[in-house]
Amino acid sequence: MKAIRVERTGGPEVMQLVDLPVPQPKANEAVVKVAAAGVNSIDAHFRDGSYKMPLPFVPGQEGAGVVTAIGAGVKSVKVGDRIAWSGTLGSYAEYVAGSAESLVPVPAQVSNQDAAASMLQGMTAHYLSHDAYKLKSGDTALIHAAAGGVGLLLVQMAKNLGARVIGTVSSEEKARFAREVGADEVIVFTRTDFESETKRLTDGKGVDVVYDGVGKATFAKGLNVLRLRGMLVLFGASSGPVPPVDPATLSEKGSLYMARTTLAHFTATRDELVARSGEVFAMIATGNLKPKIAKAYSLAEAQQAHRDLEARKMTGKLILIP
Amino acid sequence: MKAIQVKQPGGPEAMELAELPIPQPKANEAVVKLAAAGVNFIDVYFREGRYKAPLPLVLGQEGAGEVTAVGAEVGDVKVGDRVAWCGLLGSYAEYAAVAANRLVPIPEGVTDEQAASAMLQGMTAHYLSHDTFPLKRGDTALIHAAAGGVGLLLTQMAHDIGARVIATVSTEEKARLARAAGADEIILYTQSDFEAETKRLTGNKGVDVVYDSVGKTTFEKGLNVLRPRGMMVLFGGSSGAVPPFDLITLSQKGSLYVTRPTLANYIASREELVARSAAVFGMITSGKLKLRIEYTYPLAEAQRAHRDLEGRKTTGKLLLIP
Repeated sequence: MKAIRVERTGGPEVMQLVDLPVPQPKANEAVVKVAAAGVNSIDAHFRDGSYKMPLPFVPGQEGAGVVTAIGAGVKSVKVGDRIAWSGTLGSYAEYVAGSAESLVPVPAQVSNQDAAASMLQGMTAHYLSHDAYKLKSGDTALIHAAAGGVGLLLVQMAKNLGARVIGTVSSEEKARFAREVGADEVIVFTRTDFESETKRLTDGKGVDVVYDGVGKATFAKGLNVLRLRGMLVLFGASSGPVPPVDPATLSEKGSLYMARTTLAHFTATRDELVARSGEVFAMIATGNLKPKIAKAYSLAEAQQAHRDLEARKMTGKLILIP
Repeated sequence: MKAIQVKQPGGPEAMELAELPIPQPKANEAVVKLAAAGVNFIDVYFREGRYKAPLPLVLGQEGAGEVTAVGAEVGDVKVGDRVAWCGLLGSYAEYAAVAANRLVPIPEGVTDEQAASAMLQGMTAHYLSHDTFPLKRGDTALIHAAAGGVGLLLTQMAHDIGARVIATVSTEEKARLARAAGADEIILYTQSDFEAETKRLTGNKGVDVVYDSVGKTTFEKGLNVLRPRGMMVLFGGSSGAVPPFDLITLSQKGSLYVTRPTLANYIASREELVARSAAVFGMITSGKLKLRIEYTYPLAEAQRAHRDLEGRKTTGKLLLIP
């Protein structure tokens, strides 16, 4: 089968198109014919060595496709099932073998591309708005990187829940995308200080919740725009990690809550994984959630996909089609 | 009038018995003749200078007594009313001038001493268990210093709600008090490691919430005993302030929440103040909340009161009686 392999860490050029044997499923595993693979920033971290992975490896942790073989003891899926996954390494390939427990069903109304595009970021947006800080009608949420992968989905989910959404973005072009998916107010933070603007937009009261996947550049000011007893949910660090926080700051700024979350704790059991992905897919099926796919690449174009990912110029999800 | 004053921050000896004029109320203030002043750990922080206030300072922020004079604009109280307050300095004295909109009525069935005991610590226990992390039947809470001022009240409230309480205390005598207040499990942290013991008591699942007024010596281990997505409620620092911590530990330890609440933010409006104090007084009159007032001192013996408090000899509430 065709696959992308990384034999040494480095820039996008270390991803080579190779021929590998089709994997066989071990016990409790299934083999999937990959219809579409999602490209994520974490793929670049493994590729460049900033996150460690034994070499050589096939990158990619997210995708959708059809089960073609199952190993001993597998009960959760059968051959022919349309499924999706996130977390199983090896998705940049025509076939991948992974734990059957991590494969979730994809309903007929959801395409392979949409399923592959929305597992990781969709479930992230879902847990943020439905569990980490459960939004209710009338809440006001500040969403950083509102035109980013998670951002575009989170804005839509927040609007569906009846919240008022203030989004921050880095350019006018991205502001357009954020507005298109429903953001009520968009702040281009490279031009306007988001702290003073958010205070103005909330008559000085502050927002109920800040969803922050940016980290270092935004965290401290985010604490300043929360209402009394509001919450900052930090779920990523695209601008770099947040320096250590003095808990006294939380009380000084209004008895604030903080959480630092990661998807794994919101998909800890198979039941939770299936329920959460199921809700995301149901939103797509009913048209309440529209994944934005910026571009589809062939496996052979994986290097370009990573160049485009790292240039951060595109809005929406990048996917590979084997 | 007699009052306890601090001219320079320091140990208990920094408190001097002074002769001061009886205060006159400003337009929005009332003067209260104190029947009892509540002693709180926060008084120690002001005495030491850890919390800043203009010097010379009359210590104490909790009291109960009778209104003897009102300012021109006061409508919330009148002369002769039995009232209590917390959060405003000056209660270690025979008289105090207090903003009238921060005075709450003491109902029939609650004595002045009970009111002075229950304002700060009672409302703290109330907001912690009803608002910061609203406990529900079946939750498990870890309560540090469970035989302390807030501890005994919080344990009773948690037990009353139907939560399972794991209490940490330092002596057998305190263990007895915590058990009588409703604690289900007691950990003598001077003999056992509370982290290992709490994990054992919860079948390694962890607790839903940790209520921590101790701070420096307990915070980190407290994070280790929380279940995934559980909450650390840090509301004091009797062992010292918690130093700045790396947020990534919150995600590594289970996508945990942290909050550092302060009472002022839970009685911010007069409405909330009156409702919360009434709720606490109601628990006293109904017998649901039992106050332990074993340590009362004449105003002139304030130094001994602080030594006893800091020496961790005391359980329940300390009062100064002018």
